[in-house]
Order: sequence, then C-alpha cells, then structure tokens
Amino acid sequence: MKIKGREIFKGRAIGRLMVLDEAFSFLGGVDPKTGILTVASGREGESIEKRILVFPHGKGSTVGSYTLMDLKKNGHLPSAIVNAQAETIVATGAVMAGVPMIDSIDISLLRDGDRAVLVGDGLDMMDLVEKKVVTCVLRRKGKLLLLKRSQKVGTNKGKWAAVSGFIERGERPEQTALKEVAEETGITTARLEGRGETLHIRDGTHVWSIFPFLFEVGDEEVVLDWEHTEHVWVDVSDLKGYDTVPGFRKVLDVLGL
Amino acid sequence: MQLTPEEQAMLDGKEGKAKRKAMELLVALGAIYGADRLVPITSAHLSGVSYKTIGEGGIDFLAEMSEDGKVSVPTTLNPMGMDGERWRDMGVDEHFARRQLHIISLYERMGVEVSCTCTPYLLTNRPKVGDHIAWAESSALSFANSVLGARTNREGGPGALAAAITGRTPNYGLHLDVNRKATHVVEVEKGITKDEWSLVGHAVGRKLGACIPFFRGLGNDANGLKSIAAAMAASGSVAMFMVEGVTPEQPDRVEGLPVVKISRQDIEATVKSLRTGTGPDLIAMGCPHLSESEMKELASFLDGKEKKGDVEVWFCTSKGVWLRCPKEIAVLERFGKVLCDTCMVVAPIEGTHKVTASDSAKACSYLPGLCSQKVHCGTRRELLEMIL
Repeated sequence: MKIKGREIFKGRAIGRLMVLDEAFSFLGGVDPKTGILTVASGREGESIEKRILVFPHGKGSTVGSYTLMDLKKNGHLPSAIVNAQAETIVATGAVMAGVPMIDSIDISLLRDGDRAVLVGDGLDMMDLVEKKVVTCVLRRKGKLLLLKRSQKVGTNKGKWAAVSGFIERGERPEQTALKEVAEETGITTARLEGRGETLHIRDGTHVWSIFPFLFEVGDEEVVLDWEHTEHVWVDVSDLKGYDTVPGFRKVLDVLGL
Repeated sequence: MQLTPEEQAMLDGKEGKAKRKAMELLVALGAIYGADRLVPITSAHLSGVSYKTIGEGGIDFLAEMSEDGKVSVPTTLNPMGMDGERWRDMGVDEHFARRQLHIISLYERMGVEVSCTCTPYLLTNRPKVGDHIAWAESSALSFANSVLGARTNREGGPGALAAAITGRTPNYGLHLDVNRKATHVVEVEKGITKDEWSLVGHAVGRKLGACIPFFRGLGNDANGLKSIAAAMAASGSVAMFMVEGVTPEQPDRVEGLPVVKISRQDIEATVKSLRTGTGPDLIAMGCPHLSESEMKELASFLDGKEKKGDVEVWFCTSKGVWLRCPKEIAVLERFGKVLCDTCMVVAPIEGTHKVTASDSAKACSYLPGLCSQKVHCGTRRELLEMIL
C-alpha cells in the first residue's frame, strides 16, 4: 500500500525501515564516526546506515544539522528520513547532506524492518496490504446500536461492534455503508447524518482503513443476519460495560460522539 | 509555496549549485512552516562559525557552498572559537586554530564580512524598522526584532546562509504582522537595577517560554536591552519583546493580557539556579559582546585600581568596538585579556578551565552543557570585586 505524506527534500530510497518511537536528536543520538545509535536514542548499538529512518520529530540543539554532514563524510547516512512532523534542525540537515525526506506520515502504521520504497512525497510499503472497510454507527433517539458479532465471522468473534463491511472494488464508501446497514439490520430508511475522517490501524501485515459513518434511524425493527447474534441500543455513557472491537472508541471520537 | 520565475530558476540549478542548494533548503523550511512565498531580505547574520560547534561536517558544507556561492545581501558572522590573533594566549591548540581560520576563509570566499560578533547591530549591520532580515544568533535576532523593529524568525546557521545567498527568506512567523503581538505584560519590581536585567530576562524566559512579553515601566538602557534579549532567548526561545515607550512596536492593547510580576525573590532564585560552582578560574564578561559604552564604564571603574589574585579575566568584544577603545583597552589589559571575535561559550574552554564566573544569564545557562563548566553567576560589579 502507498502512504502519502509531504516532500521535504526530494529523492528516492529503498530499504528496510528503522522506527524510533521517541523524538530524536542527531547530536548525541548517533555516533557520527560509526553511524551507531547511542544510549540517548533508546536503541543503543544499532546502525542507521542505509536504513529508512523513521521518528516522530527532531529535537535538541541546532548543531544537530551538522551531525548529518559528519555522517555523510564518514559514509554512514541513513538512506532517507521519515517524520510525523518535520522541524528545522532535521530538515536542514537532510537538505545539507542530501538525504531524501518526507513528513506528515502516520508513523503508527510503520514497523521496524518493514520493506519500503520512498518516492517523492510518499512511502510504498511493499509488504503491507490495505483493507478498506466502512463502519456505520446507527442512532435512534440518542441511543447507539451495538451488534454482537457471531462465531461465524472472520474477526473479533463475540465482540460488540457497529455495522461494518468491506468496501468492494469500484464501490463508493457511502454505497457500501447503506448496503451493509440494510444487510446487517434490515433497516432501509437510515438517514446519513455525518461522516468522520478515515482511520488507519496497523494489524500484522494489514492496514485497516476505516471509513466512519453516522446514521439516524426511526422505529423500524432491527432484523439481524448471520453475522450477529444480539443487538442492543445503548447510551454513549453506558458503553463501558461492553467488550467492543478495537478502535471503536476512536470511531466515535471522529464522529463527534 | 509560490515561487517567482527567478526563484524557480535558482531551484532548478540554472544559477549554480550553491543557489540550488540554498533554494532547496528555503523551500523545505517554507513547506514546514506554511509560508506562502519568499520575501526579499536586506541583511543576514550567520551562526555556525565556531569550529567547536560545526566541526568537520560544517566545513564540508561550507566548502561545497563556497565553490560557487556568494552572498547577495550584507552578511555578518557570529563569534568564532578564538581570537584570530591571540588564540595562543587562550590556550587554543594549533589544529583547532587552523581549522577555525579555514572556516573563516570559506565564509570570506562567499563575500561574508568576517569580523565575528553577536552584536552586529552595534557596528555595520543595523537594520531599520520594517526591514525583513534573516538572522541567526538568538540574542541578536531578538534585539533586531524588538529594539530595531526589523523582522526575522529564529534562523539556524544554514537557513540564514541560504537566505543570504538567495537574498530571500520564507514569509512566515515574525515576518507577518499578525504574529508580532504582545502575549504577556511583565512588571519588574522597583529597585531591580539594569545590572540585573540579564537575570530578569532569564526569569521571564523560564516562566513564560516562547512568547512576546511587553515590559511595563522598565525604562530604557541600550546595554540592558542587549542583555535582557540574550537571556530571554536562551532560557525561553523568546525572539521578540516590547518595552513601554522604548521599542518601535508597542502593543495594540494590553487589557486582557496575562500579567506577570518579576520580584526580588525571582532574581534571587534565578541566581541560585544558575550558580553551580564557586572559586572561578575564569571570570568572563561580554556575552553579548561588550559595547563601546560598556568598555568605557568598565575602564573608568577599574582605572587607578590594582588587580588582586591571579584569576584569569576575559573581556569579550567585537573587533569594531576594540578599534574604537584603545585607551580603555590599556586599562582593562592590566586586569585581563580583551578578546575579539570570540566568547566564553564558543571557545573550547572545556580544555582549559573548570569554573567560570559570568554576569550573563545566557552564558551561565550554556556554559555547563557546551563547555563542561561549573558556573558562578553574579552581577558585573560582583565579578569585578572578586579581582579587587
């Protein structure tokens, strides 16, 4: 799958990711003579040379820009830099030393050792497959519909969830949403009330791209299909008592619930 | 960011390698900060001069840029790691001196004025109200924004060099009116003297962080403003401040702004927090570099007195001020060394000294980390009394 960001310094790179979880300072974080990370980086002893180096953002002294020049002189540069949010020190060093760099990347989707190609403003993740799904929250008189997933479904058996389903090739997410609501609840008069920004969640070699929708429904009776065994209408404040699928709270957040 | 055809040509490498690299850097910074375009500048001031801070990597970068790079606006340099002539007196070794002078020659090749000072505004590089400039050196850029009314962001050395070469800088931050508004009102307790403004600045920066403070009823003193700018920049990344009735820009309104008071207690707490050592083996003044009037004050105070003890004393200043003060230098040299183009923070004193005393809260903040020093912080009068 492709993950799009923003180009800071142009270039191409191919290789394995090295993902640092914390803000990083080249000054003090890596030995410029060897390219080996120091204890300050939290990953002491590993080399950044020829890796696509991923970290949230830079920190520390402006002198850090020059450390990238030292790494260049000694032949230990990373092949590219990927940040969630670029700042001056690292960006300056990257341009000075000629290291391709992008930012505005959701680095929670990246794992150490992933194979990637960096081109222009994005990453092509060679081993990652994107799965696009809709998730549809139904609301009736202020209460939300929870469905208990059956033992016949592929994932999250027995957990409580909203209506959901894969977006088929060529389908628009809204079409999928209406179709799934009808299939899983029998309700055909749902009214689209809002949609949230797409969420991305890493799961092994997959990334779930979740398109959240909120529907307002009337008194129509709920008729379940094979995918669910029970249903319940609950207040948002009572959700805590239910074992819900991963990311459910995030879905409600982006829908403003 | 929208580029003019001329700027695009630089980015495409049609005007040489240095302009291309410079433009690549400005475009990257412009993207990060959401600049709409580049704005022409009237001057630049560069950090990244001391061999101690930029090292061989820095030399490589400057060597590349100076192959075909020339600055296109008046450009000055920050202090280097030693006095260009008296480096042996400072205990600087030959290798360091050779590499340091090489750095200066690379800047010179690019057309940069190579007297090295953090107070370029006291000499040839004094921007006017409303001028867009690209300055590194946190104390100088804060002075330029605040006291001179020029407009600059907190540039890094390479970003300022890129701006100097292209004559442009990304239009964001303090280049825009909307970001030049006071955020806090600061009231300084009566009885706190201008000798203590450096400590006031440190306390404000520590309390408020990056902000634009408006000082009510502070008064006016050119040397004090230089100290307060330096201290606030070091402790709080403050890039601009206003002083009632003094700075060219004043707040549109102060009602509703949070009010912060700096008391005698705050000053005492500041001194205490900065004091990590006693019995200094170096007493250093001139952070920022001493002005002509400070040299005169020091000389008239010390004239006719005798030095007691053998603690080394440095008076750091710019070549320009040094040239104007021959009589004062004759007095000061009886007490210590009057050094040009360098200071206690960028010189490699970690090899020669252990405990440094300074009247600059900025120097006292940086000396432990950059120079492995224990620090004795005091007012200038207190420092002078240590040697009398």
